[in-house]
Amino acid sequence: MKESNFYSDDFEQLIRDKTEQYKMYPSENVWRGVHNSLHTKRKWFIGSMSVLVTGILFLAGRELIAPTVHPIAPRKIAPVAASTADLSKAITPENVFHAPLAAYRAAAPVNRHGPDAGYAAAALDPVYRGIDITISNPVLSQSDLSAWLSQVVKLPEHAPDLAVVETKNALAEQWRAAEDGHGQDVTRAVGELAAVHHDVSGESVGKDDNGVDAGGVSSRFDRPVGRTTDRSAGQLQKTRALAGMVSGKDVTDATGATTKADAAAIAEADDIQRINWLRDYAMNILPQSSKRGRTFLQLSISPTLNYRTLNGVDPQMEKFGMTNSGTLTPAPGLGFAVGGSVLYRLTRNLSVKAGLQFNFIRYQIGTYTINNSQSTAYLTQLGWTMDSAQMNRARMSNPNAAPPSKTVVTLDNDYYQLSAPIGFELRVLGNERLQLHVGATVQPSYLLSTSGYMPTEDYTEYNKQPGMFRKWNLSGGAEAFLTYRMGNIRWQVGPEFRYQFFSSYMSKYPVTGDQYPFTENLRSYGIKIGIVKPLP
Amino acid sequence: MTEEAILQGCLKNEAAAQRELYNRYSPKMLAVCYRFAHNREDGEDMLQEGFIKVFSQMHTFQNKGAFEGWIRRIIVHTCINNLKKNKRFNESLDIVHAHGVQVREESVPSIVQAKQIVECIRVLPIGYRTVLNLYAIEGYSHREIADMLDIEESTSRSQYTRAKQMLEEILIRKKILTKPREKSDWLVAMR
Repeated sequence: MKESNFYSDDFEQLIRDKTEQYKMYPSENVWRGVHNSLHTKRKWFIGSMSVLVTGILFLAGRELIAPTVHPIAPRKIAPVAASTADLSKAITPENVFHAPLAAYRAAAPVNRHGPDAGYAAAALDPVYRGIDITISNPVLSQSDLSAWLSQVVKLPEHAPDLAVVETKNALAEQWRAAEDGHGQDVTRAVGELAAVHHDVSGESVGKDDNGVDAGGVSSRFDRPVGRTTDRSAGQLQKTRALAGMVSGKDVTDATGATTKADAAAIAEADDIQRINWLRDYAMNILPQSSKRGRTFLQLSISPTLNYRTLNGVDPQMEKFGMTNSGTLTPAPGLGFAVGGSVLYRLTRNLSVKAGLQFNFIRYQIGTYTINNSQSTAYLTQLGWTMDSAQMNRARMSNPNAAPPSKTVVTLDNDYYQLSAPIGFELRVLGNERLQLHVGATVQPSYLLSTSGYMPTEDYTEYNKQPGMFRKWNLSGGAEAFLTYRMGNIRWQVGPEFRYQFFSSYMSKYPVTGDQYPFTENLRSYGIKIGIVKPLP
Repeated sequence: MTEEAILQGCLKNEAAAQRELYNRYSPKMLAVCYRFAHNREDGEDMLQEGFIKVFSQMHTFQNKGAFEGWIRRIIVHTCINNLKKNKRFNESLDIVHAHGVQVREESVPSIVQAKQIVECIRVLPIGYRTVLNLYAIEGYSHREIADMLDIEESTSRSQYTRAKQMLEEILIRKKILTKPREKSDWLVAMR
């Protein structure tokens, strides 16, 4: 038993030892799955950005390929107030340009049955005078017109709708009378009545076949139209007689037209009344006159990728491998620019701007550190008084040849600048909502601070000496961006490029006046994101 | 990177630290999963699920024991939970006395040492294999195994006994063990 236990324990131990030695290396997919599960924020960020960019591109493509024809979107027709009191409340000077077609003027408490009713109404609301309606579809049929009118024009409850019905009835009476030998004037009257439909359908907003102006015709239906007519005196007389006959209560009373009108006649009369109502009270949807200012505030931020160009390297040095490609390994660094500008719109497409901008520029250099003071002496000989305590040195040498004892370091070269971009923006494409702009600026800049390294003349070391950096400089910028208007604010996004015209370093040593051989020009590539807001 | 630094980085959800931890322990843990799983793909699925649990429950780790042991426990429990979802696994656990279980000898590869033994273990029926893995290799008691697998403690014991016998037979047939009843001989053969 004891031996058996001993054997059993050893067997288990053997199995345990051997299995512990065994290792298997999982595929990369396992780690990807783990990583993706743990870093869902990153996944969401990438997904959101993808959706955002796709959406922007879709909108941009749609607007650029098939731009919206009317900058002002069709406005929803507001519910018509049920009473004149409601309508009078609804109409304010602020919304007069944006209110729907059929929402106005029924509020005017005028007596539409009286002969001067229309003029009284016009006097009450002078803003509506002389405004006509335009129906865009000129091929409306009668049935379509009726349907359209019944939807668009909701007559107020207290509208004197009986007038037209009575008119129709009066005309019917006149028609009957015509059969009895009095028909000439009435026939003409009916023809003129029909001309109203003809007029509204948009085919002619002038004169009918009889040479009677539409306004003149409509005046017979108790409308306040102040147009001049050029009809003949005879026609005018007849028309006035007819108008007096069909619109006034006198006529109603005289004819005693209380008989039941057929449904078609009522419907037609209803249409006529709606047309009249539209002529009297409807407004064109007029775009609000552009009173926007010419001055805008632009705020922007740009993540940037920064590079430097080092010039003045002696070709002899390159023989020994001390070249940019061999010993110096500058790498781009991330920076940003943030600022604001004031834009002034010179023309519809051209704006000038001036502003203030803060730039953080960084690039990196891979080097090896050393511990000698050779470069200090070297620079001192050249007349530059250096504070050795402030000096940080990094040996530039070929990485392949570097002794293993030397430490590899990456130097951050940081520049903090304040610049004043002055330039222009030009709209090259787009509509009111989406536009493509290009722009350019010159940017006088002031170096606030730097932790940059500069190479020694023998091109073997980097030294940090802020006093050798040029304080004032000049840069140029170019950009192209899309803007998208959302309400009062216009968003913009697009690439930009910035180049520093003069070297980051002074051209001469301050003490001796000797020439410093190297020049460094910075350049940045960024994505500018900004908003533009009109200034009051 | 020290283990302490890795721990701190993982607690801050830093991807670099997590990757370091994964690189350090995933080979061993995949071997654990492989012994429980039906095949390598299933083992990798278990490993992935296990490491997700490891990272998400990192804050529960207390420096009272070995970090590797803590990870291993999570991985083993993940494997067991995966197996318990498998109907075949549950049925095999009901076999208390699995006499006459056929071993697919042809599936045992002729390789040596650690991998050879692991492959021999994987030849065992899944119920036997699980109990053997948990008891002989992972060091769980029969009571703990019974709780984990929702079986009786006696069942765990009997399954282990049968598993061990079967494994021994396989090892002898594969000439990994020459004289199983004589300790010195088979130890010499193995070491």
